Amino acid sequence: MKYVMLLLIILYSGRATAHEFTPTYPKLEQSYMEGVLKVSMRLFNKRNDIRYYQVGVYDDDWNKVPFVVMGGKIINVEYLETKNFDVYIQSKSRKKVRYICTMSKTLQDGKTKTLLKSRICSKVK
Amino acid sequence: MLNKTTISCILLSFWSLSSYAEDIPITGSVESKCIVTQDTAGVYGNPSPESLTTASASGGVHPVVRYDVIQADYYMAKITHPTSFSESPVLNDVVDFTGSTSVDQVSDASMSAYDTNKVEYDNVTEIDLSVAGSTWFKVESTADYGYDKAFPGGQYQAVVTAECIAI
Repeated sequence: MKYVMLLLIILYSGRATAHEFTPTYPKLEQSYMEGVLKVSMRLFNKRNDIRYYQVGVYDDDWNKVPFVVMGGKIINVEYLETKNFDVYIQSKSRKKVRYICTMSKTLQDGKTKTLLKSRICSKVK
Repeated sequence: MLNKTTISCILLSFWSLSSYAEDIPITGSVESKCIVTQDTAGVYGNPSPESLTTASASGGVHPVVRYDVIQADYYMAKITHPTSFSESPVLNDVVDFTGSTSVDQVSDASMSAYDTNKVEYDNVTEIDLSVAGSTWFKVESTADYGYDKAFPGGQYQAVVTAECIAI
């Protein structure tokens, strides 16, 4: 019985899939454009069931703050790929920006089960 | 008198005979971060016609999500259990969703306090990740259809949202 349990634990651990988003406390920097700030972020996709993540920028009360990510707000990150990207924000929004988040985008696959949507938010202090 | 070609040949032969040891560095850094991992995908069991549940006694599997934090008190976990199906056949009666989130496994014994310190509202559970390490959270979800009405045949999916928010 204990070998069966051990095998199950190994099988389950092999199936683990993860979402990682850093840095925890990013800093706003001046971009190459006047009046526009940028934040450099890194996303690592270890979820083999996810290929797309949506970027979001929010204020203290979780209201959306306008921003731009080159290539669009939904970014394609293949399994085990790390993507570095810049989030561009207007200078006038500097004081409003509080959270920068990425959320996994799930696909329906027609099975009776629960899906996991993961979201990680970094905080601009 | 040695000409240039001879000198070059001598230098080259010395160079080819000598061996070099190179140090190849491996660099890394440990920084504050949160990693959200889907440890176990949930499955709904159908113990009776009007009910779908992730309870293992009813043929289901509870979804388990793991949070890894490198440093204590940097993040808060926010787990939302489902209140609707993201995919289902046409349903013409009310579906009553219930659920909960609890600590399943811990890498540090003091994390077991998360269950007593968690904040619950609506279908959301918030936990301050006050200890560095890994915590596994188990999410329970049950859906009951109408008043003892049988769920129509088909596939059903619901979404659990696991958030990790810097504090």
